Amino acid sequence: MTAETESAQQPEHRQEDVPPRSRRGTAAAWLTTTDHKRIALLTLGTALVLFIVVGVLALVVRAQLTLPDQHLVSNDFYNGLFTIHGSGMIYLVVTPVAIALGLYLVPLQVGAPAVAAPRLAMTGFWLYLAGTVLIFAGFATALGPAAGGWYAYPPLNSSRYLPGTGQSLWIAGVFIAVLGMIFQAGTVLWTALLKRAKPVTLMRMPVFTWSSIATNLMVIGAFPSLLAAMGLLAWGRVFPNIFTENLWNIAYQHLFWFFAHPVVYVMFFPFVGVVAEVLSTFSGRRFFGYRATVVSLLTFAAFSMSVWGHHMFSTGQASNDYYSLTSILLLVPAGVEYFGFLATVIGGQLRFTVPMLFAIAFVPQFLIGGLTGIMVATPVIDYQVTDSYFIVAHWHYTLAAGSLFGMFAAFHFWFPKATGLLLDERLGRWQFWLLTIGTNVTFLPMFWLGLEGMPRRIATYLPQDGFTTANVIASAGAVLIALSVIVTIANVVTSVRDRRRPAGDDPWQGFTLEWATSSPPPPTNFDREHPLPRVPSFAPLLDERAREEGEERTGDDPTEHGGLRSGGGR
Amino acid sequence: MSFLPIFRDIFLLEIVIASVVFAVIAVLLAVSLWRRRAGAGRPPSSRADNMPLEIGYAVALLGIAIFLVVVTANANGRQAQRQEAVLAAADVVTVDVTGFQWCWEFAHRDGPVTVTGACAEDPATRPTLVVPVGRPVELRLTSRDVVHAMWIPDLALKSDVYPDHTNVLATTFDHAGTWLGKCSEFCGTHHPTMEFFIRAVSEQEYQQYLASGGASV
Repeated sequence: MTAETESAQQPEHRQEDVPPRSRRGTAAAWLTTTDHKRIALLTLGTALVLFIVVGVLALVVRAQLTLPDQHLVSNDFYNGLFTIHGSGMIYLVVTPVAIALGLYLVPLQVGAPAVAAPRLAMTGFWLYLAGTVLIFAGFATALGPAAGGWYAYPPLNSSRYLPGTGQSLWIAGVFIAVLGMIFQAGTVLWTALLKRAKPVTLMRMPVFTWSSIATNLMVIGAFPSLLAAMGLLAWGRVFPNIFTENLWNIAYQHLFWFFAHPVVYVMFFPFVGVVAEVLSTFSGRRFFGYRATVVSLLTFAAFSMSVWGHHMFSTGQASNDYYSLTSILLLVPAGVEYFGFLATVIGGQLRFTVPMLFAIAFVPQFLIGGLTGIMVATPVIDYQVTDSYFIVAHWHYTLAAGSLFGMFAAFHFWFPKATGLLLDERLGRWQFWLLTIGTNVTFLPMFWLGLEGMPRRIATYLPQDGFTTANVIASAGAVLIALSVIVTIANVVTSVRDRRRPAGDDPWQGFTLEWATSSPPPPTNFDREHPLPRVPSFAPLLDERAREEGEERTGDDPTEHGGLRSGGGR
Repeated sequence: MSFLPIFRDIFLLEIVIASVVFAVIAVLLAVSLWRRRAGAGRPPSSRADNMPLEIGYAVALLGIAIFLVVVTANANGRQAQRQEAVLAAADVVTVDVTGFQWCWEFAHRDGPVTVTGACAEDPATRPTLVVPVGRPVELRLTSRDVVHAMWIPDLALKSDVYPDHTNVLATTFDHAGTWLGKCSEFCGTHHPTMEFFIRAVSEQEYQQYLASGGASV
């Protein structure tokens, strides 16, 4: 295999691009970096800070809703809180994490020395940051932040009904931040498809890299539609009369949901990839059903572009049976992914580390979101539960009980790689149990609230509505979630301050290429001390270990796994 | 009430299927977490694929998906048919419902009766839509400003309410009663209190109501 020895030297020719060690730590070096790992860390770090800020807004929402007839905040400020909480989590937290996780990991996992078009990726970060500033600047304006909900339907969001400057700033901010995300996604896709090290063929890319490819394809296919929707909304800020016509109101909804259903999978797929990597690593075995999972991710991504109308069942202006058909069919690729998760665990030898706990919890919790998703894809059910707390519960199970757990699995799994330091296991377990209990106590009662008739986005309710008990329980759960986040912050702060637990290159006995280099990796990912290893399959370090042990395990021949057959040796 | 039984049937069907799927996966996961813990000493499997099994499973999933699609489309069709049957009836009662920031207006075409209210914090300020029991009722929904939605949770009746567009909800009330209606599409500051009552009364009382110009019955 001469290809592998060649590629091990490949990073060397870029060595002159790297600033000397003495200047690498300065703020200027960080803010002008072209290293994909640093761009990704800037994006991820910003998103994690925003996760806390935007999460605090949700705590105020929960405080207001705990008891009936409470007026801790005015109706308008309440509307601002849930708007910035919802749009912040989606546009500024989970989507950027989903994309930037790929920006950090994909070049490493495909053995590339850098990301393609790093300055474009960095522009993406700056646009994201600028968009964030604009959205939050709304709090400093006379009428407060945007208050039209994260999907910002016209005519409500035209200047006639929500005249505040915060509303206009929000439209501009969302446009700019999402444009930045399109840039980053493009560079990651480019890297995975065209910048792989020679031995890394398509079918030797890890599951996470495939999930990132599927994600970024959706970003490129669907996100421009949001730019068009925001453009239309901006037009309506200037000429609100266009939204007296039904045509433009419904056109906005089509443009918006054409983006906003795929974005749900953008916020989900990378965490499917994360959970697959974490489950297989701590099961001590190759991910089961790799090929089926790859096919299902790509099918899922393609189908994701055909389901948007299921958000419009109750408009009386969509082809409900068609959108119901395409939406329900998605259970096939989703079911195939779950098969891979379960089969991997069923044949594993399990180590219950903190990342593994989060990955395990993801499986049943996201399942609740997925199964209720099939229910709301059924028009006759959706007519009753749409715009109620049933829906709020449904997507908090996908995003909080699902993606957030995938996010923390990733955080605990790759934190040692990015920093060279291990987090504290005991605090990690506290975080896990608080978050698991808190999430379910918060969001499970909301299904019931929806069925009892509580509409979403109401600032308060009356004692006779009968919503009080469930809301008290939900708020108690939110306190546990807050405690869990505090424990996490303490964990990170003490681990980084004390620097007591060096991670080493490969603290988890990982399978993929990022574990073959140092922690943190050198500027060009692989260098003389850390050459690219052999890549016979999608789990190269597992193959390496098996080879070193001299075990000719029956059935674990990498050629069996689609690796060498699909292009190796050429 | 013509919508509630369909919602209940399909919801029950799907919640049973979902519970079975959840139970199977949760049990499989829990058992394998226990059996496959490192302390149990079972070496990891090295099997990476089982194509016949995976393809068979995907085909089975497709079967379930097709079953759900057919059941769903069928239920949706039945619901649409019932609405059409109501609208085709000769003695249909038509009410023009207008949503606005932030209350409702109900204009009865059978008599010169128009009802509206203030929808303030006090529930007594909310308007009441009076309809007869047993006769088909057609609600023609439109908005004067932004998008609203009319929702009567206890009857499983809901439709969005658009400016420059009319949606129709058609149903028959089979017994007398009073229900709470809400706005379920976020519409601004006073969205939470944009509520109304819907009251089904006997045909005789309904006629009295219209004749008296909307005096409460």
